[in-house]
Parts: sequence; C-alpha cells; structure tokens
Amino acid sequence: MFSRKRSFELFLVVATQAFHMRAQVPDPQTQDQKIQELEKKVEELDQRVRVSDRTRELEAEAAADKSRSGATVGAEPTGITIRSNDQNFLLKIGLDIQVDNRTFPGESSVPLTDQILIRRARPALSGTVYKYIDFYLRPDFGQGSTVLYEAYVQLNYFSRANLRVGKFKPPVGLERLQSDDDTSFVERGFPTLLVPSRDIGYQISGDVVKRRVSYTVGVFNGVPDNGLSDASVSDHRDYAARIFLTPFLPNTNHPLSGLGFGIGASSGNNDNIPLPSYKTFGQNTFFSFASGVTSMGHRTRLAPQAYYYNGPFGLFAEYTVSEEGLQKGTVRRDIAFRAWQVQASYLLTGDKKGFTTLSPRKNFDPKNHGWGAVELAVRTGDFSVERGFFNYGFGTVATSPRSAREWVGGVNWYLNRAVRISLDYGYTKFGGGAPAALGGNRPIERALLQRFQINF
Amino acid sequence: MKRTLRIGWVLLAATALFAANPSSIKLLNVSYDPTRELYQDINAAFAKQWKAKTGVDVQVSQSHGGSGKQARAVIDGLQADIVTLALSYDIDSIAERARVLPANWQARLPNNSTPYTSTIVFLVRKGNPKHIKDWDDLVKPGISVITPNPKSSGGARWAYLAAWGYALKKNNSDDAKAQDFVTRLYKNVPVLDSGARGSTTTFAQRGIGDVLLSWENEAYLALNELGKDKVEVVVPAISILAEPPVAVVDKYANKHGNAEIAKAYLEFLYTEEGQEIGAKNFYRPRLEKVAAKYADRFPKLQLFTIDELFGGWQKAQKKHFDDGGLFDKIYTPGK
Repeated sequence: MFSRKRSFELFLVVATQAFHMRAQVPDPQTQDQKIQELEKKVEELDQRVRVSDRTRELEAEAAADKSRSGATVGAEPTGITIRSNDQNFLLKIGLDIQVDNRTFPGESSVPLTDQILIRRARPALSGTVYKYIDFYLRPDFGQGSTVLYEAYVQLNYFSRANLRVGKFKPPVGLERLQSDDDTSFVERGFPTLLVPSRDIGYQISGDVVKRRVSYTVGVFNGVPDNGLSDASVSDHRDYAARIFLTPFLPNTNHPLSGLGFGIGASSGNNDNIPLPSYKTFGQNTFFSFASGVTSMGHRTRLAPQAYYYNGPFGLFAEYTVSEEGLQKGTVRRDIAFRAWQVQASYLLTGDKKGFTTLSPRKNFDPKNHGWGAVELAVRTGDFSVERGFFNYGFGTVATSPRSAREWVGGVNWYLNRAVRISLDYGYTKFGGGAPAALGGNRPIERALLQRFQINF
Repeated sequence: MKRTLRIGWVLLAATALFAANPSSIKLLNVSYDPTRELYQDINAAFAKQWKAKTGVDVQVSQSHGGSGKQARAVIDGLQADIVTLALSYDIDSIAERARVLPANWQARLPNNSTPYTSTIVFLVRKGNPKHIKDWDDLVKPGISVITPNPKSSGGARWAYLAAWGYALKKNNSDDAKAQDFVTRLYKNVPVLDSGARGSTTTFAQRGIGDVLLSWENEAYLALNELGKDKVEVVVPAISILAEPPVAVVDKYANKHGNAEIAKAYLEFLYTEEGQEIGAKNFYRPRLEKVAAKYADRFPKLQLFTIDELFGGWQKAQKKHFDDGGLFDKIYTPGK
C-alpha cells in the first residue's frame, strides 16, 4: 500500500531535484521539459495516493457492509451463541446435565433404592428473532423419559409489559421460579410440591417503578401440584399472578438491596385434573391419594415468599397453601395442603450470593490459585394436610402421613459458573400416618444426595 | 348479550372495512445504483396520478446499490414489491433462486419488461487531456480507467461487454483478440467500486482516473452536477444497447396487498409521462413520440445487443462473470 508519508518523501525528493536544476540554470527549453516531467511525476504520485486512499475507503465500506450483514459465533459462560452483527438475531445453545447419586443410609421398612441416575438431561435452544422476539425450547431426556419442559415465545417490545406464550413456569412458587442450577440444594423444598411446575398459557410480565416492583399475570390450562402437561383435560382455566417487590434494589450499595418479597397465587377450577403424589427430599413418594378420588371444584394456591441476599449470605423463605376440591363417590370437600421452608446459605469463599446464577470470583484453576466458590447451606421445612383428607376417605394413613418435617444440610462447590458439585444430607420425619403395625409413623428418611451438574 | 354481540360485529366489520381500504400504501422499489434521481421523479408523478385516480396516498421507498448486490438482497429476503435492476440476469436469479416471481416475468410487460434503454459512454476530465475518443484509447499505457466491479455492478457488466463487443467487431469476432483487448483495458483500472454511483464518486469526487466508463444517464447527470468546466462526455462510435428491466415481485407484492399498485407503477413507466421523465433523466425512451421529442439529448451511435454478440445474459454471465469465468482470469486485484 502506498502511504501518504512515502509519497510526501518522494515529493520532497522531486522538489529538491527541481530546486537544484533551477539553481544550475540550464537552457529554457530543457528547463521546461524537466518541469513537465516533474509535473507528470507529481501527478502520477498524486494519483497513486488517491487510489490508495480510495481503496482503503472501499475496503472500510465493504467491511462495514459485511459487519452489518454477517454473524458472529461465540462461546460464552451462558452458552454457545450465533449472533447477527446487527444484534437482531441470536441463537443460543445450552445444556443442563445433572448426574445424581442417591444413597439412603440406615434401615427402613420402606424400600429405598440407592442409585446413580441422570436426573436431568436438557439441551436448550433459545434466542432472539427480529430483535424483540425471544424463544426458548428445552426438552428433558433425564430418568429414561422424554418430556417437553419449556417451549415458548416472548415479545419484548414493551419493556414494562412482555408477552409470553407457550409452555413455561407459571408465576406462583418462588423456588420453582428459581432455575435448578441456582437453587442451594439438590432437590427443592416442600412448598414447590404444591405449585405448578410447567403449564401452557399466556403471560404478561414486567418491571415497574424503577425495577422495584415486578408483576406477572397469566392464564393457563391448569396442571396438578408440581405437575406439567402438554394439553388441557377440561374447559376450565387457571389464572395465576405474582407481585414481587425489591424496594431497595436500584441502590446496589444499600444493605437491603438484596431484599425481595411478594406473593404468588393461582385460582381456577380443576375438574378431573390428574392428582399428584408428593415426594420427599430423596425423591421417594410419601403421600398419595386413595383410589377413586378425583379433583373436582375450585383450587386456590397462595404463596407468600421472600429472600434476602447480602454479600456471601443468603436467606430464603416461602409458605404455600393449596386448597383444592376433591371428590370420592358422593363426597366432595375442599382440602388444604400447606408447606413452608426456610433456607440459609453462606459462601465460605466470600463470593456474592444471589437469587440467580452464581459466578465465582475465581474459577477452578488450581495452577493459578483458583478454586471456585464453596457454599454451605441449611434448610428446614414442613408439609401438612388437614385432617379432613383422611376423615373423608381421600387418603389413608396406611400410605400417607398427615405431615412431614425435613432438615437438609449441604455443601456446594461451584467450579465455575457452569459446573457445580453438591453434597446434601436430608433428614425427613413423618407424623400422623402409617399404621401402628409398622411401628408407628412412617420411618424417618435419611438421604445422602450427591450431584455433578453442568449447566450453561 | 345479543346487543354486545351486535356491537362486536359492527366493530369487526368496521375494522375489516378500514383494513381493506387503507388511506396510504407503501411500496418498496429495489433498484440499481444510478436510478435514484429517475425514481424520485417517477415516484412523485405516479403518487400524484394514483391519488387522483383512487384517492389513496402512495409512498414509494427506494433502495439502491450494485444490481447484483441488490438481487442478492432480495434473494436473501428483502421484501421488495418491485425490482428495477440493471440487467435481466439479476431478476432471473431472483426468480430462480428465491422463487418470488415467475420465470416468465419478462413477458409480462412490453419490450421484454425494459421500459427504457441506455448505453455505455465515457466521462473524461475537462478538455479531454488524454485525448480519449474511442475504445482503443482506453488500453493505451498510462490511461487510468474507472469502472465498477462486474461481479456486483450491472453497469460494469454492460461496460465490460461493450468493450468486448467493440473488440469482437473490430477483430472479425476473434474471441482471443477481444479477451486480450479487455485484459489490457482492465490493467488500466486502478480501483473497482461495487456500484456505478461509487465509481462516479471515485472519478468525480476523489479525482481518480482519466476516464469513467459510465451509464449514459449517469454521465450526463455528472455533467450537470459537476459542470461543463469540470468534465466532458465522450460518446464512442460503437457501444452496447443496455436494457435495464423491471418486474413486480409477486410473492411480496401479494403479501403486502400491493399487487395491483405495483403493476400500475411499472405500467406508468411506459406511459408518455413516464417516458418523458425517463428522457429528462437521460434514459433513452421506448415510446417513439417521446424519443423524437428528446432526440437531441441522445447522440446517435452504433449499438449492438447482448443477444446479438453474446447469445443473451445467461450465456454471457456464465462465460464472463460467474466464479472462475473470464473476468476472474482477466482481472487480478492489486495488479
């Protein structure tokens, strides 16, 4: 490439020669001829510089053009991405694999199987089309079955009112709304048993009052507690709403900026919706309905909820009541199920805890003194059903206790944002159930759960 | 309940009526580089005529660039209602690869859907200091020729074929001599723009080169804008008859509900008013009456057609401009 500097140097040489020639004072004809030659050389040089400049200009235009129309492939902590250079299109490929090892120490009259299993195996495709429209698709191939967990489209044009359509988490339970790679324990607590897992419907959500208030309202097919389905079984709909306040959030330096509280709720008729069964921390069914019982009538869920995060410390609490109509034969009654939990966690490595994904300050890389983040967490929770459940024959104490109380302690090692190794010990005690012939209540469940998880 | 339903139906009908009779229509015309001024004038005249005829306002958006580049944009999804490109091969490509208009699109309007013609002339600097009179002067050592890249520019392909055709006619259809001639010509090309308007900028604004191979209309536009004290138009003795075609892009026009108006827009180009606007912008009119009226604007020269010397655009494209074609052998960037 012929630079301006180089051409200027040549110009100086030519000009100097011209000066010397003039100083020698040759005859006028020779002098004119020399001047013409020099003018020609200067013109040629000028053209070469102009061509060089124009070529650069065209290259820059072509690069800008290519940049506008092309795409960039990237590998980010949140997934592998293909993004159009105009930022209007994005495809993100993610993956969530959890390998669990469940061990049940001690003796029990209930057969509990020690096992290693694929708890979740969920590839995820998500992204954006035409700048304002997001999509998300995530099946699950874990535990030997294929289930569509999420499939939705979201219009984000209005920042305070996003429309989501498809299959996703209805806005009720707090821990249910937390991604499974963000929860402090291998398995969620009792309140999550009483809220919908995924449902198909429409939802509008947004943040208002400078992100101090977030709201969600939606209409759904209606699914059993902790359940999901791909189709409705009745004409009725479930209406769900949640309001959550983070009053100090805009000021991240405020000691209460990590405080959030709110309430989620759902309401609707649930005629003939399949009935759930409830599982312990060790994922063993401890509560089920008697045969011949159907859901019939209204169901209402209420879920007050709160969290508080400050530096490495985290506190999380929620209470859920689910009252639903049950019928057996000619008997129909509304029965209430209640659950609560309180969690506390602390990051020994001083990293910052939050409701969403933890990113260690130093990723696991011992050669460079990086060990990731280590967290200790404890929780206690309770589940109970009102006595009418048994009195009206909707269940029997032979198979379902009236209450359950759990204590769980765990340690999480976050190698980086994507990889976590967890070890939890859960102790669950049951009350008011199981016949005396079996020695009183259902035996205590002791569960040791270990998980290796990658999620991006 | 019945009353509510009745009101609902009335509102629905009103909405449908409103949707069916829009007060404003938007059209997108995807065109090649030097037609900006032509279609600005056409759009204004057509909108006026359409408003008078139907009472509906019409806004025509224009998109301009190298003809090949514009065709690729439509193939890649640019939803043009109308394409007005530099050569039929580019519209054929759209029909073939995007299937958004039928293969016989060229038969739908008169003159093979080419409402006006043009040719390739030379634009030189005032006083014609390099004494450029005809094609032979372009291959002389020391002559700097400005022309866009035939890979992306329709005008450049016409210019390339004009030079090739001249050499064929001069050398008794000897293809090897024609190739040698065009090779020498492109050795004198210091920079390739992507479109005709870019080359005009290179020549006129950046002051590069001795001669610009230009669309006739672009040359006279530059002459008017820059002034006769800056540039001159040199008309060679022989050149090519350039026939820029137009077409409705059926799929997108139908999708936008613009099929009728898009067709009317192109038909307007053939009307006396449309032809006059073309002639005023230095496009050679098809309508004899208008051609006679503006005869003094268009110098007489011997014109050959692409069918006559090259067997049509498909053959010319494959032989000269496709990847690995003769142009790739003739022109090496940076040399």
